[in-house]
Amino acid sequence: MAAVAQTTPLSRILWPALAWTIALIFFFPIFWLVFTSFKTDADAVKPEHLFFFTPTLENYANMTENYDYWRFAINSVITATFATAFALAVGVPAAYAMAFDPSRHTKDILVWMLSTKMLPAAAVLYPMTFLTKNILGLFDTHFLVIVVLCLINLPIVIWMLFTYFKEIPKDIIEAGKMDGVSTWGEIKDILIPLAWGGIASTALLTFIFCWNEAYWTVRLTTIDAATLSKLIEGNRAPEGLFFGRLSAVSTAAVGPIVVLGWFCQKQLVQGLTFGAVK
Amino acid sequence: MANRTLPRLLQAPAVIMLLLWMLVPLGMTLFFSFIRYVLNSLRRPEWTTPSIENWRGLGNYKYVLDAKDFWFAIQNSVFIVVSILIFTVIFGLLIAVLVNRSFPGRGIVRVLLISPFFVMPAVNAVLWINMILDPVLGLNGLAVAGINDLVAGLREFPVIGQFFSMWPELKPISFRASQTSAYAVIMMVTWQWTPFAVLIFMTSLQSEDESQKEAAMLDGASAWSQFINLTVPHLARPIAIVVMIQSIFHLSLYAEIEIVSRGNGNKNLPYLIGEFTSNNIGAASATGIFAVILANIIAIFLLRMVGKSLMD
Repeated sequence: MAAVAQTTPLSRILWPALAWTIALIFFFPIFWLVFTSFKTDADAVKPEHLFFFTPTLENYANMTENYDYWRFAINSVITATFATAFALAVGVPAAYAMAFDPSRHTKDILVWMLSTKMLPAAAVLYPMTFLTKNILGLFDTHFLVIVVLCLINLPIVIWMLFTYFKEIPKDIIEAGKMDGVSTWGEIKDILIPLAWGGIASTALLTFIFCWNEAYWTVRLTTIDAATLSKLIEGNRAPEGLFFGRLSAVSTAAVGPIVVLGWFCQKQLVQGLTFGAVK
Repeated sequence: MANRTLPRLLQAPAVIMLLLWMLVPLGMTLFFSFIRYVLNSLRRPEWTTPSIENWRGLGNYKYVLDAKDFWFAIQNSVFIVVSILIFTVIFGLLIAVLVNRSFPGRGIVRVLLISPFFVMPAVNAVLWINMILDPVLGLNGLAVAGINDLVAGLREFPVIGQFFSMWPELKPISFRASQTSAYAVIMMVTWQWTPFAVLIFMTSLQSEDESQKEAAMLDGASAWSQFINLTVPHLARPIAIVVMIQSIFHLSLYAEIEIVSRGNGNKNLPYLIGEFTSNNIGAASATGIFAVILANIIAIFLLRMVGKSLMD
């Protein structure tokens, strides 16, 4: 690493201290959310209890009663898990074919797939509502949310998998072909074990994106398939009365995902820039 | 290589799914944008079913272009997006350069810095507008009240009390009004997306040519001139990518606006479409087509760039 500014003792302390300060400032809102979740609703708005208070777990204990948390959480888990699995099931074969058997159109197909991701969701809001409500009868079902989450993440899934698969030497796959292994056998016995790390991080990142999605999950559900985004969105203005309990349910909604996110920082760059930044 | 059937077959499900996803709803939007179509009408009940007989040509587009809301929404969308871009790129650059050196606890600093990016947008908005920015009960209100109390206390003292009695009573800013809630949205999204910029700039910095920097140092170039002459040009491409990706994401910003400014007039294009959708589908669709055009202008540049780096 550059030894540029580390020559003087002052800068040896100053720059790390500055980096730490900025990191703590950025983390502070999350800390504050978690901190407030241990206050009672009454304590949460009293200045004298800003930093000193008797911590309580009642907000967490009452999450089900106050917000029906688990119903929304289970919906989030179900939709995000199945959407991720579905996207991988469709994405792995497609990326496999593109990486090991590219045609002259492969590049165009990849770029086109990405372009579908750039369609503003709001532009097709009414048609989606109309189709799912009046024609398909799928409005507010888990199936619909799973399909939509899968579709909006599919381009990123294929793109990420493609960049991982491209790193695998073609000879290995060709050797399998010589031995008369079927395509399914190649994918199952050669590709998946070799690209396991890449597939896992793609899955992790897709799961996070599905979990945090806040347009379609809010607009295409009412009760049955409503996810945590919908739950939080529905409690947007607590008028200060329920800061404690709202913090607890928010912490429960984002905590696991933030921790998951720590493990896929590297993949995030690849997943979000489509391999354009290395 | 002779047989193309199998690879085509393997790609088919993905291609067909995405094709349907893109063409069907967008085709419907396009159709609705050319007809008179409202959800409720007592006078003209025939307009409540989508039909070619209610053809309006470019009438919906004209209606939208004449609407004051539309131009305000465009302006406001651009204002919000550009503000967020400026802040995230500047903060992102400075932080990335700062963290891109070894120091004790660098790993933890990275983890703390990236965390905001994984917070779901709905929680981000609820957290900021209530717990942090509320003018009475949030930290914003409490901090201002604290300062006022402190000043009031100091007024009691002789001599310096004279000085502090000239200080004004501070009033906390309310972030729920039309204009200020746009600032609140900019703040919370900047908080969430600066980590993204940091992460990308850091990844890119790691591929920077160290020998060039060392040569510059030997030539006696200052840290600042190294930053401007070597680091910033090296980061030109990642900056462009950060700007384009964020533009596309933030042009369709919705949850934050819905939570922070519902009904207070601070609207962007997606929010306006949502408002039209409650009755005037024709206008909503025409606005949607404008949003698609706007996003496409940016997307074309981005896709070109990404496409170039694709096969190497």
